[in-house]
Amino acid sequence: MASKAIFSTLRRSLTKPHGGAVSRRHHLSTTSAATASEPYPGDEHAIVMKGVRISGRPLYLDMQSTTPLDPRVFDAMNASSIYDYGNPHSRTHLYGWEAENAVEVARIQVAKLIGASPKEIVFLSGATEANNTVVKGVMHFYKDKKRHVITTQTEHKCVLDSCRHLQQEGFEVTYLPVRTDGLVDLEMLREAIRPDTGLVSVMAVNNEIGVVQPMEEIGRICKEHKIPFHTDAAQAIGKIPVDVEKWNVSFMSMSGHKIYGPKGVGAMYVRRRPRVRLEPLMNGGGQERGLRSGTLATQQVVGFGVACELAMKEMEYDEKWIKRLQERLLNGVREKLDGVVVNGSLESRYAGNLNLSFAYVEGESLLMGLKEVAVSSGSACTSASLEPSYVLRALGVDEDMAHTSIRFGIGRFTTEEEIDKAVELTVKQVEKLREMSPLYEMVKEGIDIKNIQWSQH
Amino acid sequence: MVDKGPVISLCRSLLRAGHQYPDYNIREYAKRRTLEGFRMNKNLTDHSKVEEAYAEGKKQLEVVERVVKVYLAYPPRTKNIMELKLQ
Repeated sequence: MASKAIFSTLRRSLTKPHGGAVSRRHHLSTTSAATASEPYPGDEHAIVMKGVRISGRPLYLDMQSTTPLDPRVFDAMNASSIYDYGNPHSRTHLYGWEAENAVEVARIQVAKLIGASPKEIVFLSGATEANNTVVKGVMHFYKDKKRHVITTQTEHKCVLDSCRHLQQEGFEVTYLPVRTDGLVDLEMLREAIRPDTGLVSVMAVNNEIGVVQPMEEIGRICKEHKIPFHTDAAQAIGKIPVDVEKWNVSFMSMSGHKIYGPKGVGAMYVRRRPRVRLEPLMNGGGQERGLRSGTLATQQVVGFGVACELAMKEMEYDEKWIKRLQERLLNGVREKLDGVVVNGSLESRYAGNLNLSFAYVEGESLLMGLKEVAVSSGSACTSASLEPSYVLRALGVDEDMAHTSIRFGIGRFTTEEEIDKAVELTVKQVEKLREMSPLYEMVKEGIDIKNIQWSQH
Repeated sequence: MVDKGPVISLCRSLLRAGHQYPDYNIREYAKRRTLEGFRMNKNLTDHSKVEEAYAEGKKQLEVVERVVKVYLAYPPRTKNIMELKLQ
């Protein structure tokens, strides 16, 4: 009897009523006390982590790195986790049949989003695995006749790294430069094509700057020369209309966690007509048409399928909303600040990705001040080398501008108030830094920084 | 043919259910999307389409009510900055 009372009070103290967060009072350790400022009123919800003190959970504006799970996807995954535990490849009993059904339904949902047939979809662990499989698998299959790969300088790291791996094996790779607006020059692509080119890989929507490449034109060029065309569409599906027939792609990589689905799942589109062959990366029991052996994680695949279906239904509404928020963000920042540069073409762009560079501001201090907004920077400031991002370097952005670039990622769940708050915080931080900057003072007086003769001490 | 009464009551139930999400972003999205969904279908005249939209709304209500229960079973960790400033 007494134990029941104890447990009920314990339960009551642990579960809070809706909307109320568990407030934690963090005592400052001696190390962070030296760097922390005095607490301001209303600071009971402060979080202290990694020596930084923030007043609450930051607003999430980093949709390109990953997206939160949509509740409808979560619902479908729960049901599947509980009941579809059979191995989808077990042919002999109901558990296998049910799991296989669930996977096939997901396959149809993914295929519909990109305009493909379900038989052309292969599930795997993510876009990185798909990129690796395609780049290495295609070239290894055709290694006797085809020794050349064409890709761009702004590709995702996994594609560039796979190409470097191929170079070490003896293949030749052409890294096409991009123009200053981030788009591929079609004439350079035409010139780079050789008789022994085995693959052209161009990503549809860039994850850092958000530009949309001219996919139809590139597809047409590849069709002319009969070269398989691979695209990393992880950031593109569900956001811009994707059609494998119109784009004439032979391979496409897709990722689950960029479209409000679960992490750890992705898909690869492999064209069946005209047939393109590739060597699998994962050998084993021959699942997924022999291209990717291994038991499928049924609930992840189901989640991915539902996310794709939702993306198809919501694409129009999301696009309108995100475009509206992007304009609000850009106009809000441009009204109050000058020297704001948008990296990448503003016309051929996915609205949810806004990469801005602020002139005369130091990048790392800008990021340190923007702790209440979860954004990503364009440079590897946080890593050991202070190297700016290779994508911005390929665009021809100056080093100092590349260091101050910030990538705002707007998504389905972003609200107008969050955008207003992000604008307010960014403007405040940039103004504060510029006030302290002697370079900015000189620019205001009209001195041209590039023509200064700095004296040596 | 679905009358105006049940439709308004469905909208109200969806809004009330969506309001219970502990996460700020999802809560705001639920409200916005519900209102937009009903606004989009406001001028439908085809009976079958109206029935279809109503059935879809009922299905979404089931999903929201179920999911909210799970979300509330795990207490949120920290308050979002947007919720703090609104106070």
